Amino acid sequence: MATAAPPAPPATPQLHGVQPLRAGEGNSYLWRKLHSLTGIVPIGAFLVEHIISNFETLNGPLAYAQQVKFLNSLPLVRILEWGLIFIPLAFHALYGLFIAVRGRSNVNVYPWAGNWMYLSQRVTGVIAFLYIIQHVWRQRFAGVSLPENPGAAFHKVQVELSNPWMLAIYVVAMIATSWHFAYGIWLFAAKWGITPGEKARKKFGYVCGVVGTALCLMGLASIWAVVYKYPNAPENVLPEQPAGVVLPASQTSSPISDPSFVQK
Amino acid sequence: MAQSTIKVEIKRQSSPGAAAVTEKFEIPYRPGMNITSLLGEIALNPVDVAGKATTPVTYDSNCLEEICGSCAMLINGKARMACSALVDKLEQPITLAPLSKFPVVRDLAVDRSVLFENLKKVKAWVPIDGTYDLGPGPKQAPQIQEQRYPLSNCISCTICMEVCPQFNDATGFVGAATIAQTKLFNMDPSGSVLKEERLRALAGDGGIQECGFAQNCVQACPKQLPLTEAISDMGRDVFVQQVKDLFAR
Ligand code: SF4
Ligand code: FES
Repeated sequence: MATAAPPAPPATPQLHGVQPLRAGEGNSYLWRKLHSLTGIVPIGAFLVEHIISNFETLNGPLAYAQQVKFLNSLPLVRILEWGLIFIPLAFHALYGLFIAVRGRSNVNVYPWAGNWMYLSQRVTGVIAFLYIIQHVWRQRFAGVSLPENPGAAFHKVQVELSNPWMLAIYVVAMIATSWHFAYGIWLFAAKWGITPGEKARKKFGYVCGVVGTALCLMGLASIWAVVYKYPNAPENVLPEQPAGVVLPASQTSSPISDPSFVQK
Repeated sequence: MAQSTIKVEIKRQSSPGAAAVTEKFEIPYRPGMNITSLLGEIALNPVDVAGKATTPVTYDSNCLEEICGSCAMLINGKARMACSALVDKLEQPITLAPLSKFPVVRDLAVDRSVLFENLKKVKAWVPIDGTYDLGPGPKQAPQIQEQRYPLSNCISCTICMEVCPQFNDATGFVGAATIAQTKLFNMDPSGSVLKEERLRALAGDGGIQECGFAQNCVQACPKQLPLTEAISDMGRDVFVQQVKDLFAR
């Protein structure tokens, strides 16, 4: 019997159009999952904290100042701020933009609820991103520094919201952000296999709807409190808080008034 | 219906690189037609509405009963199976166009081999080839059968991919059908031997992570596969596999 090499299998022709799955290649799985996770923790958790803290504005400028002071007195607060807020948020926002520009929305052809929600998640994400850039810049870094002057927080926001355009921006962004977060939790549960069944997703949809609405209403209430409930808030309701820990200067001559006890 | 003709507008293209043109046809009305019989009617007498002779329209079809999966096209703009799209239920003029996300071969026929390649990447088969009789396979519990049967209905029509906003050149997303077939074969008592390889494949670039959960797939699938459920289940399994690999390999 003659030995012949077995016929070579036909080479897979180069495909035009959408490329097949690149099994075993790339790191997009890791980045995409990180994007999904950071949306829940730490960013989602921070959003909830932020909205709850802002709800203190309903108790007036002093209560709000106490809340701002408390947050800024957390241990390692600047590390927390960068490590749990700014850096994850920047990653989530930039990778989110990358995801958004690579999608080809087709609600014009297939106007189905899930498809609209797909689009809404991208639109609200972009709104939130643009809003947060100006919000962080104008409220955290520009103007009077709130970590050292928590008492000025209420007034600073009030001045900001005295501009009707800014007020409109805050209201729109509040709605967009709560929407993005609420649907984000729903998407997280669906995609990570926490709610695989139709019924489970539906039920969890109600839960997310309630959570999102509650957060949104709390945020809007805070905006209302700043603009209408306590008009003309004083510029600063607390004395300046020096950076670091300082013992209060005592009037009587106790050993504590010894200057050597004062730490810088 | 009192109408005497059916108006059709077909986006045509003579070869893969050629420019697309729209040809209009008007054919005598018969009750109970579907799009494949309409195209057959045109092939009998390929003359456009202006009386100009043209060529029969090229399209894929085979079973004519929505089971082979070959006749997917855009009918009035939406991805559907031509053989199950009834002319009487369509608004006129009926527009026909090739699927938009696959390279056109000619007229309404497109090259959908990307799905075949994807199925190969996830090893969507039961590995039982061998040189000797392996004997009967393991028993399948009815509960497993009930979950698997709907997934086995996939006809590889690629409609779920066509309608998916994430299935495009930029992402190279694998699409719902392949993910559903991964679940089908992972749940097979014999096929599950390749489970880990399939799950790893789905974490590659263009893998399950690209899903944006727009849920168009499950709306559009002509065979009503539970696609979102499969994506969710595989999403969890792929994640668990990645974590296992991280700590155990
Ligand atoms: S899952 Fe449905 S839409 Fe997708 S290829 Fe299979 S039959 Fe077609
Ligand atoms: S011809 Fe087989 S599915 Fe339409």
